[in-house]
Amino acid sequence: MQKTSSYFAAALIAGLSFGTPSIAADDSRIALVPGGPHPYFGAWAQAGEDAARDFGLAGADYRVPQKWELSQQNQLLESLLSQGYNAFLIFPGDPVGSVSTAEELSGFGAPVMAGGGCFKDPSPAALCLGTDTGASAYEGTRKLIEAMKAKGDGPKRIAHFTGFLSDPNTQLRIDAVNRAAEEEGVEVVQTIADIDAPEAAEEKINAYLAAHSGDIDGIVTTAWVPAVAAAEALRQMGGDRIDMVGIDHDEAVLKAIKDGIVDGTMIQNPYGQAYIGAYVLDRLRSGCTIKADAPFKSNALTDRFVDSGTAYVDASNADSYIETMRGETKAIMDGFEATYLDCQ
Amino acid sequence: MTDSASSAMDTRPASRLSSRSSLRLFLLSNEFGLLVLIIVFAALFHGLANGFLSPFNLFALGRNAAVNILIGLSMMTVLATGGLNLAIGAMGVAAAMACGWLIEGAGLAWPLAVLGGLALGAGLGVTNGWMVVKTGLHSFIITLATMSIFFGAMIFLSQGESYRALPAVFSDLGRARVFTFVSPMFLIAVGTALVLSVLYRYTVQGREMLAAGARPEAAEMSGVRVERTVIACHMLSGLLAALAALLLTARNGAAIPSMAGQLGQDWLLPAFLGPVLGGTLLQGGKVSVLGTCLGAFLVTMLTSGLLLMQVGAFWVQSFLGILLLLAVMIDKGRRSYLRRRNLA
Repeated sequence: MQKTSSYFAAALIAGLSFGTPSIAADDSRIALVPGGPHPYFGAWAQAGEDAARDFGLAGADYRVPQKWELSQQNQLLESLLSQGYNAFLIFPGDPVGSVSTAEELSGFGAPVMAGGGCFKDPSPAALCLGTDTGASAYEGTRKLIEAMKAKGDGPKRIAHFTGFLSDPNTQLRIDAVNRAAEEEGVEVVQTIADIDAPEAAEEKINAYLAAHSGDIDGIVTTAWVPAVAAAEALRQMGGDRIDMVGIDHDEAVLKAIKDGIVDGTMIQNPYGQAYIGAYVLDRLRSGCTIKADAPFKSNALTDRFVDSGTAYVDASNADSYIETMRGETKAIMDGFEATYLDCQ
Repeated sequence: MTDSASSAMDTRPASRLSSRSSLRLFLLSNEFGLLVLIIVFAALFHGLANGFLSPFNLFALGRNAAVNILIGLSMMTVLATGGLNLAIGAMGVAAAMACGWLIEGAGLAWPLAVLGGLALGAGLGVTNGWMVVKTGLHSFIITLATMSIFFGAMIFLSQGESYRALPAVFSDLGRARVFTFVSPMFLIAVGTALVLSVLYRYTVQGREMLAAGARPEAAEMSGVRVERTVIACHMLSGLLAALAALLLTARNGAAIPSMAGQLGQDWLLPAFLGPVLGGTLLQGGKVSVLGTCLGAFLVTMLTSGLLLMQVGAFWVQSFLGILLLLAVMIDKGRRSYLRRRNLA
């Protein structure tokens, strides 16, 4: 898993360092802070190192709260401010509860940006750079339904395994999966949330499949760990009656795709979030401001959303997915300053 | 400093204890040990960590310590009876959410809503206490069950939604600074501790609480209404948990269901660390308000200092566990020394 992330990061490094501005605030010490320990954010560490080197920053360091707790993240952010960090890319521990800390950081003149997940408006975050989770879950579900229908007509039923309810993205994903299923006349017979941790995911997914595998035709997963657990469960069950579309680029999921056990996965762009995030924060420290007419998207939490990119990977492109995300990151970087920033 | 059933009933004049013995007793006390540790670690962190004594870090330290102190005091009031309260977090969050609903949903003025939240906390405490005395079961079992019941009911009633449209007085309290580095939240916690000190040291009710915890049968024969006293202790615990949660609401600027983690379990470690480090006996009959405050402050300071020193975040929790174990062993050694010298 970690190995795959490293390859992913290393491959992206090779393709980045393009079209970056020469003017940078050389005293920018940027903290990249997730909500807690999670494999999804593994690529942020490498992205920070690369951003510090490419943009001439004093630092862009990945700092992880010891537990997935709002209070732990708040304490870490306070500590980082005391240590001299002066810009923050944050995955909010809670979309509402984290706003107060963001306001405090911003009160000290440190620009704040949301990465991977958004603060709930109003907040001092300059913008939110993350996966359009609703669109990703919607597209993944459509791909799953296509795969199920390719096997024959008749009523189709799916199960949805997803992440923490405290994650701002989870409800967006649940809504999107339900919407895609409803449009295609497919029934979501079960949504199991709060299982983005190995023990919980394995226990609940295995128990569900042991009792109800005959009741479903497909599985869509919209969080990293459930995707791994469901792919492993299908491998153990054998057969190809149940289709599955997962999320992210864990080695187990990619191997299951290549082995024909899983149909595909919706990959996200965590490396790009941290790399581009560090760049934007540095530009904001250099005097740039967010354009008043910047073409932000909206989601349920914020009206200042920028999509960091997502793509469907199946057996045909499982070996070249890194190229796909490199292209997404390059496309966002190329036009970012002209589109979103005012750097007079 | 330490209030116990035996000292409460001790009628010997203080002059009969030699000043030398008193000094030795003080030097062997948990409180003195904690004071020394606080001074030593403060000096260490100041020397090794950048920004430990900066006004913002001291402010943040006081603010975090305030919540930990109140959580510790909340547990201490039940430990006085020889019981436990595992539902502290669930009760606190339920009280804070009730306060949020009273402001946003019922349109009450904030002082009334705060009183409502505190009353709910006390009421939930009474429920715990009543069930403990009526069933005869250990409070461990009762509060383990009510932890899930209170939290589940809160999630059901609130639908997991946060209350963030709170009056500015809440966030003002969370951000205000006295003399640039003291949080008013810390002053509230210290004030509460002073009130509890007076309760245990100078009032009949306080002494009855300790007597009921030390030897319930003897206390009953002395005219103490033990059952009513146990319920009062649980009520006090609920009240203090509610106060802690309201301060956390001020710090977050919102009442959020996840403020104490799943089922409120994030509060359990700080709830035990403060009282146990401070010398409160788990078997009841003896509490130390000052010790609990110092213990909670030490734990908060260690977390802050270790984060500033950039010790791997995951070591912080291990370090706190080691500290708890050391404190218990040192206390055991101290008590056996006192017993050998006939000072206990």
